[in-house]
Amino acid sequence: MKKILPITNAIIAIASGILVILGYFFPGMFGGIQSVLIGWAIILAAFALLLGIFNLAMVHWKKVGNKEPGRVYSIVLLVSLFLTIIIVTSSGPAGSWSLWVFNTFQVPVEVSLLAVLAVVLVFAGARLLSRRPKWNTILFLATVLLVLLGSVPLFFFGEITPLIAVRNWLAQVPAVAGARGLLLGVALGTVATGLRILIGVDRPYGG
Amino acid sequence: MEQVLNFINSYLGLLFILLCLGLILFFIFSDRTREKLNLRNIKAFSHFSREVDLAVEAGKRLHISLGRGTINDLQGGAAFIGLTILDRCARAASNSDRPPVTTSGDGVVTILSQDTLQSTYRDLATEQRYDPTNARLTGLTPLAYAAGAMPTIHDEHVSANILAGHFGTEVALLTEAGERSRSLTVAGSDSIPAQAVIYATTDESLLGEELYAAGAYLEGGTAHTASLRMQDVIRWVLVVAIVIGAILKLLGILS
Repeated sequence: MKKILPITNAIIAIASGILVILGYFFPGMFGGIQSVLIGWAIILAAFALLLGIFNLAMVHWKKVGNKEPGRVYSIVLLVSLFLTIIIVTSSGPAGSWSLWVFNTFQVPVEVSLLAVLAVVLVFAGARLLSRRPKWNTILFLATVLLVLLGSVPLFFFGEITPLIAVRNWLAQVPAVAGARGLLLGVALGTVATGLRILIGVDRPYGG
Repeated sequence: MEQVLNFINSYLGLLFILLCLGLILFFIFSDRTREKLNLRNIKAFSHFSREVDLAVEAGKRLHISLGRGTINDLQGGAAFIGLTILDRCARAASNSDRPPVTTSGDGVVTILSQDTLQSTYRDLATEQRYDPTNARLTGLTPLAYAAGAMPTIHDEHVSANILAGHFGTEVALLTEAGERSRSLTVAGSDSIPAQAVIYATTDESLLGEELYAAGAYLEGGTAHTASLRMQDVIRWVLVVAIVIGAILKLLGILS
């Protein structure tokens, strides 16, 4: 049984993968089965989400039980999770109480984190020079500065046309060329990863 | 002739996939007898391998962040690489007092990471070490995910973080947490904005296809080196095609 189960998992995964790929190229012949398989995947993903939330609760329950440092935050999380589930279940996902929870707690917290993120990025940019004092770091920071200055009207000076032109050229020529090169590598890597799973060499499903 | 061109145009994607598959299989079989493939030195991987050994000796933990991508779309590729890294790390740290911990922002990836940990421990006949709470879902939105993963980096005796998956600019919060807890952070992503942030905030960044080479560099097996060689071949083919296309367009032959 210990050997049969992984092999069965692999066969199901490989067959499903091949059928879904064929569905893209031969929609007439395999389109139907492709839709069914993708539908099943979406349903399974929804169940996986529930299991994930259960896992999140378990992790924090364990932290509270083991009296680990910072367990107060875990208690806050568990209480919030419990209350949110009750409110959203009774009010519905688009109900007024659900929206109140979302707008009162989720949005402000995420906006605060975005503000922290902006500060972290500025700080990291400043630290970069001391961390990697090389010509490419200077080029990176100079480009960032030029793009920033060309993107917003400056205090007292307003919009400076040559800066905007430089910003546009940087964004449209070197940035796009570099991004395409990186995306080409990412796309090839993704294809290779998918094919390794499709031929059963990589089995992230316990096969 | 037109019919042939139409056929090729319709099935170009399938032909491309079959070509990639053929090359991978060819390199798997041709490399079987080859002792070891010479890979160019990527500093991030050599530093990370060293840090894994140090973590095992010091009784510290490794943190693998799989990002917040789902496997239902293109972002899944990066998450699968994260799972490969998780497998290698769990094997390398099998003697450690503290098993690796993994965080993700998607339910399916969380389950797959639990499964990866469990099957790795089963392979090593140490299944009693498996704890499902070591593979965690930390949040479902980008910032919630980052906020949930930060305490893991700060509070759980982590000596090295590897961030391998789909991230956005919120990855800066994770790299900053790694910096503050004085742990090594190796990071790579499929997203361009995240790669820019990673380059600026970490010493060990994996840019472009470097992330996808993780399996080959962490001794994942012949299939990983074969797919790396396939990528090299196809990359050159695409470079030549792009250059020829540009020349033809300059000459006015292509519209």
